[in-house]
Amino acid sequence: MKEGFRQSMAWLHTWSGLLVGWVLFMVFAAGTASYFKDEITFWMKPELHAVAQHAVPPAQAAEGAVAYLQRHGAGSPRWFINLPTERQPSTDVLYLAAPPPAAAGAAPAERPRRRFDRASLDPASGEAMSAPRATRGGEFFYRLHFDLHYMPALWARWIVGFCAMFMLVAIFSGIVTHKRIFKDFFTFRPKKGQRSWLDAHNVTAVLALPYHLMITYTGLVTLMFMYMPWGPQVAYKDRGGEQAFFAEAFPGSGRDQVKASGNKVPLAPLAPMLAQASAHWNGAAVGRITVHQPGDANAVVAITRAEGPQLSYDQPSMQFNGATGALIGAFGDVPRPAAETRGVLYGLHIGRFGDPLVRALFFLSGLAGCLMVATGLLLWAVKERQKFAKTLKQGGRIGFGLRLVDGLNVGAVAGLPVAMAAFFWANRLVPVDVAERGAVEIRWFFIVWGATAVLGLLRPTLRMWQAQLALGALLFVLLPVLNAFTGPAPLSVSLRSGPSAVAGFDLVAIALGLGLASAVWIVERKRRKSLARQAGAVAKAGPAAQPALVTSEQGS
Amino acid sequence: MDSLLLALVFAASLAGFCALSLAMDRHSEDVYGRGSSPGTWRRWLQLGGTVLLCLSLAASLQAAGSAIGWVLWLGALTAAALATVGLLGWAPRRFPWIGSAAALVAVGGGLLYLLALLLA
Repeated sequence: MKEGFRQSMAWLHTWSGLLVGWVLFMVFAAGTASYFKDEITFWMKPELHAVAQHAVPPAQAAEGAVAYLQRHGAGSPRWFINLPTERQPSTDVLYLAAPPPAAAGAAPAERPRRRFDRASLDPASGEAMSAPRATRGGEFFYRLHFDLHYMPALWARWIVGFCAMFMLVAIFSGIVTHKRIFKDFFTFRPKKGQRSWLDAHNVTAVLALPYHLMITYTGLVTLMFMYMPWGPQVAYKDRGGEQAFFAEAFPGSGRDQVKASGNKVPLAPLAPMLAQASAHWNGAAVGRITVHQPGDANAVVAITRAEGPQLSYDQPSMQFNGATGALIGAFGDVPRPAAETRGVLYGLHIGRFGDPLVRALFFLSGLAGCLMVATGLLLWAVKERQKFAKTLKQGGRIGFGLRLVDGLNVGAVAGLPVAMAAFFWANRLVPVDVAERGAVEIRWFFIVWGATAVLGLLRPTLRMWQAQLALGALLFVLLPVLNAFTGPAPLSVSLRSGPSAVAGFDLVAIALGLGLASAVWIVERKRRKSLARQAGAVAKAGPAAQPALVTSEQGS
Repeated sequence: MDSLLLALVFAASLAGFCALSLAMDRHSEDVYGRGSSPGTWRRWLQLGGTVLLCLSLAASLQAAGSAIGWVLWLGALTAAALATVGLLGWAPRRFPWIGSAAALVAVGGGLLYLLALLLA
């Protein structure tokens, strides 16, 4: 049997896409949400919506944070201070809990896991904010899209990387398979069954192709040192191993440990350091401050530039002597070409270069990616079903593979939006003082997703699709209502006087809900059509065809 | 970013894709009914569409700089192409009007911007 190049690529496209499609759909959906993770987190802390936001000079915010940390994290070996930005109005501090005194003689392997304490401070007063509820917020989706959940992050990253590699294969083989990219560039023929699914798959894939290629490739690049550690391992074999490589490749990134001397010296004031750093970067804002061994004679203050209108993810940093305030050095001002290339690829993936419009376009392309994966999965089921057309007519059943795919499709494509919406509902309905509240919200996400998946596998019918899509639509459309009842900034207020992040969240929720509702309508049309067809068939064939009714109603 | 330039980016890419789609027989039929063909207009529509897409790129680079400008342009192209597909499917009657309006905004905005540059 001789097959052409295109046929073999079609086979590759089908199977590389199908096998990992369900994971990819989740990665795409959660990753798309992550473009607005700060805004999502903000929406999920309604206690902050009423706080009037006014810009505070960075020096004041930094001094406030230092005062807080000196009270709460005095013995800590390291402080991290994230200064407020437009998207993130609070000063976020993170500090390693002080090492327990008895651990001095213990072997490194027995050392208890380091624990981070965190707090959100009001930039103006330096006090912990009026206790916003504990939530993982948008950070949950961000982590979910490469660390998954309920499993070690390392395994998860290998799984996601494996799926991303398959995705890259599926994209390239898809380009080869698609015979008429330019002829069918604008072609979408609705209401034509399989033809429409194929058109939708092509349109969402081709029109956002630059994005799909970029996001898949750069996604692999973000974790390239994990997937392909061999270069540095070999090159730095006799020169200190990978740690030495990282210290050289990312100078000033803080991987180098600072040892405490034991002599207590008060921390030098940060304001002059901030001013010096900002001036060095031509007035660019400061993003993060890291203090190593605060209060020790060996203290080091590392200041990193805020994300600005640059593509690259890597930001230059400056280090100061924490005791005297003297400049130690500036790092990353002129990045090497290789490091800069990686920085730009990384930066393109996370799309944090400031402008909300560009991020909205990334979000749109990400939604196109979700639709591409979803239509691809459905297309496989639609095509496979045709192979069973004859069997079904004779009252037979569909194969196990198709039934499995049908079931997984329901849980992955229709169930995930329901679970995401449920996560937001849990955020507002779970009592504020529950222990481990952030984890409880996440548990609700997985309970709901698990329920939709089980129901989908048990009964993968059109009715089930409709039910889950309708539930998702309802939960999303009603999110602004929920927000109005459980927060101080309903849409009527937030549209007029802000906060604009809350208004944006509510509007996008409504739009997503309407999108899901239109999917319900599409399924309804299909269901009516297939019912009408069956009625005709039953009238002709009589009661013998009855079993066929049950099975051919199933699936997409 | 300059909002005039941003409007220019989106209007020009939408108008460009509208023109390019009308240069194809299939979409000419979508809009003007069965059997219609762009005929001698085809070359002009293709040329105009290409020029408008280039105008969109120029505006994008001007608005967002040479690095993010490319990202913005590709994103705007995706949005505009999706909008074109949507219009062809659900508003074929109004398609020529919307396309012309977008082209008008693009060309007018471009001239306005050049004028402002000259006067400044």
